[in-house]
This record gives sequence, C-alpha cells and structure tokens, in this order.
Amino acid sequence: MKALILDGSPEGDSLTPVAVLGMHSALAGRGTDVELVKLRELDIAPCTGCFGCWTRTPGECVFPDESRDVLRSYIASDIVVYATPVTFGGYSSQLKKLLDRFIPVLDPRFTVVGGEVHHRLRYRRYPMTIGLGTLSAPDPDAERLFLALVARNGLNVHQSAEAAVLVGETDPLSARSLAERLLDRAGIAP
Amino acid sequence: MNALILTGSPKGRDSSSFLLGSRLGEALRNHGVTVRDEFAHQALRTEEGTRRLLDAVDASDLLVLAFPLYVDSLPAPLTRLLELAAERRTASASPGGPLLAVLVQCGFPEAHQCDTAVGICRLFAGRMGMRWAGALAMGMGGQLGGGFRKLPGGGRNILEAIDRTGESLATGGDVPGEAMALFSRPLVPRWLYTLFGNLGWRVQMRKNKARRPLAYRPYAK
Ligand SMILES: Cc1cc2nc3c(=O)[nH]c(=O)nc-3n(C[C@H](O)[C@H](O)[C@H](O)COP(=O)(O)O)c2cc1C
Repeated sequence: MKALILDGSPEGDSLTPVAVLGMHSALAGRGTDVELVKLRELDIAPCTGCFGCWTRTPGECVFPDESRDVLRSYIASDIVVYATPVTFGGYSSQLKKLLDRFIPVLDPRFTVVGGEVHHRLRYRRYPMTIGLGTLSAPDPDAERLFLALVARNGLNVHQSAEAAVLVGETDPLSARSLAERLLDRAGIAP
Repeated sequence: MNALILTGSPKGRDSSSFLLGSRLGEALRNHGVTVRDEFAHQALRTEEGTRRLLDAVDASDLLVLAFPLYVDSLPAPLTRLLELAAERRTASASPGGPLLAVLVQCGFPEAHQCDTAVGICRLFAGRMGMRWAGALAMGMGGQLGGGFRKLPGGGRNILEAIDRTGESLATGGDVPGEAMALFSRPLVPRWLYTLFGNLGWRVQMRKNKARRPLAYRPYAK
C-alpha cells in the first residue's frame, strides 16, 4: 500500500507537523509506503480557472509545474492525507492551492452522486481521502465545518472520506493514537 | 458607508463573480454607498498590492466577497487574503462592526453545494470581529458566461435578489431571506443544464483543437 501525505502547514505552524508525524508513523506501522510532500517547499501556481485541463490537454494542467508530479503520485496512491491547520473551518491556502490544481484528475462530464451533480471519474481508482486538521484551541464550529468539507471533497471522487481534528498543543504519541483511530475508522487494515 | 467588493476569481473582470459583484456595487451606489472594486488574485501578485488591499479591507464598513466555488471552498488566493487579513486584525466583535456579505456561485446545479464555502466565510467574519450579513449562493454558474441578458427571463430573479440585497446592506441590514431564495432558484431544469454542459465540453475541445481524447489518462499505469 502507498500513502501520500500532503502537508499544508505554513511557516511557523507547530501543530500540523506533529499531526503529520503521528500519521506518518501510524501509516508506516501498518506496512504502508509513505510519501510526505511539504507543500510550502514546492513551487505551485494558483489555478487560473481556464479549464484547459479538461478541454485543451485533457487530464493535465496546461502549466507544467510541480503540481503534475503530485497528481501523478496521488493517482498511484491508495491513501491520501490532507494535513492542514483548520483555517476558518477549511484548508490552509497552502493546501488549497494544490487542491485547486487537482481537477484534471476528474472527467468534466456530469453525473449524479448521492442525489447531487458531480463530475465523472477519469481514473478507475482513486486513493481514499483522509482529512487531518489541527486547531490550537477547541472550536466546535470550525471542527464541524472541516469534517463537512472533507466529506464533500470525498464525494467529488465518489467516496465517503474520513477526517479528524487534533486540538491543542500535543505530543507525537497522542498524535499517533488519533491517527490510528482515524485509520481504523477508514478501514485501513494494520 | 464604504463598501469593498472583493472579487475572488482568477478571471478578474471577465468572471461571473465580477458580473454579480459589479451589479451589487451598482445597487449599493444607488443607495449612496461609496464602492471600491478589488481583485484578490491580482493584488496578491505584489507586496504593495497585497498591503493596499489589506488596508482597504480594514477601511471598509462593508466587505463583499464575490467568488466561484473551488473544490467546495474558496479559491486559494482568496483564502490567502483571508489568512493575511485575520493575522493583522486585532479588533474584537462589536455590534456596529463592519459587515461581511458573500456572493458565491458554483458550476454544479445545486446552490447548496456552496454551503461549506459560505460557512468558511462566516467563521472568518467571527474571527475578524465582523458582523455576518449573509450570503447569496447559486448553482449553474456556467450559465452566467454570456451576461444577464442571455439568461432565461433575462436573469430577473438574480437581478432582483441582488438589488434587494444592495438596498438592505446599504442601510446596515442583512442579506434578505427572500433574496437568498430568489438567487438560488435554478435557472433551468437540472437535466437540461447537465445535457448542455456535457455537450459544451466537447465543443470547447474542438475549438481548442485538443489532440487528446476527453477521457485521456496521463497518469494511469
Ligand atoms: C479549480 C476549480 C474548482 C472548482 N470546484 C467546483 C466545485 O467544487 N463545485 C462546483 O460546483 N463548481 C466548481 N468549479 C466551477 C466554478 O465554480 C464555476 O465554473 C464558476 O462559474 C466560475 O466562476 P468565475 O467566472 O467567477 O470564476 C470549479 C472550477 C475550478 C476552475
């Protein structure tokens, strides 16, 4: 099994790297081959909204930057982890910049999923989506919204996704046990 | 009253977001509000632009975020601006504090798919000590490309929703509930929207002289 962890932490964020560490060791403990991508070290441009990835060079963004490598790796993975500080209930801009560049992996044509319109899938299989958020203090509204957002993102690839939020300053051990619980819930066998 | 209409689409003045935002700007001006237009993606390209925009956010009594739904939330550059604005804001919520309103549209037919993005803006308002005025959200954003005149019924519902919202916001009120309902009303039946949408991708491909099939899989093993 292969897992891709997308670390969307900004400079100076002390919480998300701990959560990532916990997830990394939990995945490795389950015999998973883990690739960790620190998004702030990549040079990725924001999406320009041109839809060229659907109608000019189908399946691939027209801008050849490092997002292409991440997408290739994403498609080759069994699990993807979105690690991010919960930002007003959503993702950090760092992670979001990459996610906005993810739409080439979908087929533009519409279909109905769970009673709503979504896109068709371009590939036969997609990694299972796992959201891993961090909050420096309890914020139930932000936490709820984060879980709802990850669930919606799961629907885009016709899945039910799993997510959890690590709250407050924490140590690698509690981060790992949260990750273990999350992986159990996601049905990822040890 | 000073309003700032912040467009959060990479397409700037050519975007559907700006089409809606500028109509709201017009409605606000008609009620005596001073309106300024800014573009998140453009401003973020330089430090100077970013600082000017953040100053404008701080100076506004009404901030309107007009954006397309991107992956169930806000486009990354708009998210970046909200992060920066929150980092430098120290004021706490006050009943007379600045207002935040949202104009959001998405490509899928169902307006409720914008709910998570609206929730994010609402939490941002709380973090900024701004008063949440509410959101106009609509699906079928793909229909807006030709302007209001090309819409069925001339986009009557949308225009009325925006105009009523402008009138209310200009006097410090919220986005009216009837305006929200009017704005989110489907422009055409869902099956028709998806049928034409699906044909539209192929038409675009032909125009672009795409050399790969629509369903091409560059990353398949
Ligand atoms: C990167 C990207 C992500 C998008 N994500 C969604 C989405 O999650 N749900 C949806 O309904 N539409 C989505 N859309 C469609 C846009 O919201 C829609 O095309 C919108 O009308 C664009 O508005 P604009 O002209 O103001 O940029 C996405 C478009 C792009 C380019």
